[in-house]
Amino acid sequence: MTASLSTRLLRSLALGGALALCACGNRSPSDAVQTITVGTRLAASQVVNRGLDAMPRTLDPSLSVDTTGQDVIGDLFEGLTTLSMSGQVVPGVATAWTVSADGKTWTFHLRPNARWSNGDPVTAADFVYAWRREVDPKTGAEYAGALSPIVNALAIATGQAPVDSLGVTAVDPLTLRVSLEAPTPYLPFLLADNYLQPLHRATIERYGESWTRPGHMVSNGPFELEALIVGDRITLVKNPFYWDAAHVHLTRVTYYPLDAGPQLDRYLAGGLDFTSGFVSSQYHWLVSHLGSQVMIGPYFGTVMLAFNVIGPPFEHNRDLRLALSMAIDRKILAEKLSQGLVEPAYQLMPPLAGYHAPVPAWASWSAARRHAEARRLYAAAGYSADHPLHVELDYPTSPSERDFFDALAAMWRINLGADVEPYNEEFRVLQQDNELHKTKLFWDAWIGDFPDPFTFLELFQTGFQQNNGGYSNPAFDALLAKATQQTSVAARYRYFEQAEALLNADAPYIAISFYSTMNLVKPYLRGVKQNIEGRNLSRYMYVLEHGGR
Amino acid sequence: MEVAEAMLRFLAGRLLTAVPTLVVIATLAFGLLHAAPGGPFDAAKRIPPAIERSIEAQYHLNEPLWRQYLRYMDQLAHGNLGPSYQYRDTTVNQLIRSGFPVDATIGTSALLAALLIGSLFGLIAALKRDSSWDVVPMLFASIGIALPAFVVGPLLILVFAVQLHWLPGGDWRAGSVRYLILPVTALALPYVAYVARMVRGSALDVLASPYIRTARAKGLPVRTVILRHALKPILTPVVSFIGPAFAGVLTGSIIIEDVFGLPGIGRYFVTGALNRDYTLVVGITVLYGALIIVCNLLADLCYAWLDPRVRLRS
Repeated sequence: MTASLSTRLLRSLALGGALALCACGNRSPSDAVQTITVGTRLAASQVVNRGLDAMPRTLDPSLSVDTTGQDVIGDLFEGLTTLSMSGQVVPGVATAWTVSADGKTWTFHLRPNARWSNGDPVTAADFVYAWRREVDPKTGAEYAGALSPIVNALAIATGQAPVDSLGVTAVDPLTLRVSLEAPTPYLPFLLADNYLQPLHRATIERYGESWTRPGHMVSNGPFELEALIVGDRITLVKNPFYWDAAHVHLTRVTYYPLDAGPQLDRYLAGGLDFTSGFVSSQYHWLVSHLGSQVMIGPYFGTVMLAFNVIGPPFEHNRDLRLALSMAIDRKILAEKLSQGLVEPAYQLMPPLAGYHAPVPAWASWSAARRHAEARRLYAAAGYSADHPLHVELDYPTSPSERDFFDALAAMWRINLGADVEPYNEEFRVLQQDNELHKTKLFWDAWIGDFPDPFTFLELFQTGFQQNNGGYSNPAFDALLAKATQQTSVAARYRYFEQAEALLNADAPYIAISFYSTMNLVKPYLRGVKQNIEGRNLSRYMYVLEHGGR
Repeated sequence: MEVAEAMLRFLAGRLLTAVPTLVVIATLAFGLLHAAPGGPFDAAKRIPPAIERSIEAQYHLNEPLWRQYLRYMDQLAHGNLGPSYQYRDTTVNQLIRSGFPVDATIGTSALLAALLIGSLFGLIAALKRDSSWDVVPMLFASIGIALPAFVVGPLLILVFAVQLHWLPGGDWRAGSVRYLILPVTALALPYVAYVARMVRGSALDVLASPYIRTARAKGLPVRTVILRHALKPILTPVVSFIGPAFAGVLTGSIIIEDVFGLPGIGRYFVTGALNRDYTLVVGITVLYGALIIVCNLLADLCYAWLDPRVRLRS
């Protein structure tokens, strides 16, 4: 889930960590339905203007790859499951589901009153059609791989199996059976994702590629598409056929794709009610002027530096990698360079309910003790004042964040005597250099696709396409394989914890911080809650009576 | 008759040289963009190679570059700028059709404002030389030239939208003047200043020339001398400035669009380049090239009309 990296990830490049994360385990029913207390005075006009980091590349749920399109598509479509206000999975088109004992066959029961925006009923066949379309190589869906837990999905996407062999069957119009390659406890969460939404076959067959245009699109979510101007705005209006329309309060939502600066201008001038972010260096000013309108929360993503462990100087050199990691003062980075918006991170996995992330022991040491140990390891690796480490630290171009990397280099120079040269490259150039393993030490970041440790730990799996540093450890791979075969979540997490502990000891990366969600929300706009998914569906929002601006 | 014929020959010649110029522009843009590392479908999250190949085949990106080039040039010759890679359900023609009217409105408004207001202030400054009518506007002109649009834009928003709430702080409503005022002001300001200084200088020269002195000596009123005899030669350098100014307004509008969040093609251009949206960037480059060629041509025609000493030669 990192396609909008050029905007969202880079914006928070300097965020050294995140706030203490909440334990998000409670699924309260009131969270999934927006009921308003009697006596609340609603504004006559239930219209909201939202900022977006960038223009979504498409509104076709199968082709969408960016985080910026998630809420728009989530407003337009509804999957078997959907997300609550606090980002928890709640029933969507499906009212209930059962799982077989081996965890590989899931049966979903669809609600009979689910409707498309043209009044047609939503049936199991709409899901079968959409998922087959997603993995069909002819569709050219970049994220077809997201369906890989489903039987044959990858084989079909790579042209090795026929499309109708996908492990999904419409038993009857209101029953859908899904067959999986391996137990996938996070399946209900995947089902809320863009690429597993149902699609209206007749519309797509009638209009072809242009089915996503206003006037053509038929959707099944709380809203339908009214207008779209690329680079300018996307306007949605309430879908009267939505099964839960009685609990949808907004009559119109307009999304404006804008950079953080213009979003703030427009927010202050009254043109936006909700921004998708703000510039972190303006945090203190915003808090002192806007108070509680500034909303911060933990986000399911990690900022790190990664080592290329294929070739010198970092191959077979755990001491050196660990020395560099321990020499960094993450608290200083978080407080001085990230405005205290965030807290430091010492491991890969952001906090997740039920998962006990193994934090390295040295994380709690005093700075003096940590630096002394770092110097010992640095010397043990064969480096000294006469023979210092010379290496380039590559990071994607983002002029305002240069000081963050200069600070890192200074810490290594002062604490170890190492000579690290920060070097910025345009994002796609850096990406290509990483792929070719030309970089030695580089900025890296990851946002989890689903709330499960696998989405992070697989980054270090042997041969995984995103394993930029080329790390390979058979013991680590074996633990991951074992974890993914477990049917119980607790057992699954225990294996993942062991795997992550192994990773920490090997130090093929340096964790710096966890991302945060950052929004500005007008005091009269309600139904917004920060959550680790960074998702805010408009169906929960409502506008209080207010004097404007 | 002879003049009309010369004019036609001049026009035909210029238009003929425009075609190879555009071909060179398109070729360079195509080559440079393809030479840049990374491709349009290299997302931060890498996709399985087999899927990537199937997407590339859809867009013919798997073919040798020379064949992609010939395919593109053939489409271009037919006025088809191809599909956008970045916005997958949209063509470049559609993007330009939706974005260009915004740039055209802002660009022409800013250029007209710059020419009219700049000329007026420059003329007054020259006529009232060394008075406060001269010093104050010229001081502002110097500031206007020195301040870049990305400083002026946010300042205008801060004052007129955030503090005073007089005007919207961005956004766009086709046909609404309210939404035009701030972006056009920010875009026009340096050009107003530049034109004012230029007209002042030119006016001082012209007003000091012997034929104006002769006209004044004949007893003609100041107004007649200026309107009938001085204005044309004073404005000649301004006209030659229109071509480069137009190019500046086009590129300047990229920043203005970003500051005010306007849906013009400048923003497509920047995000397109970063995302390696080959067709979108080449398409807009060719459009910019064509506009600048046409604008230079118009400026040359005006120039010839204003100054009979200039001969049109193809």
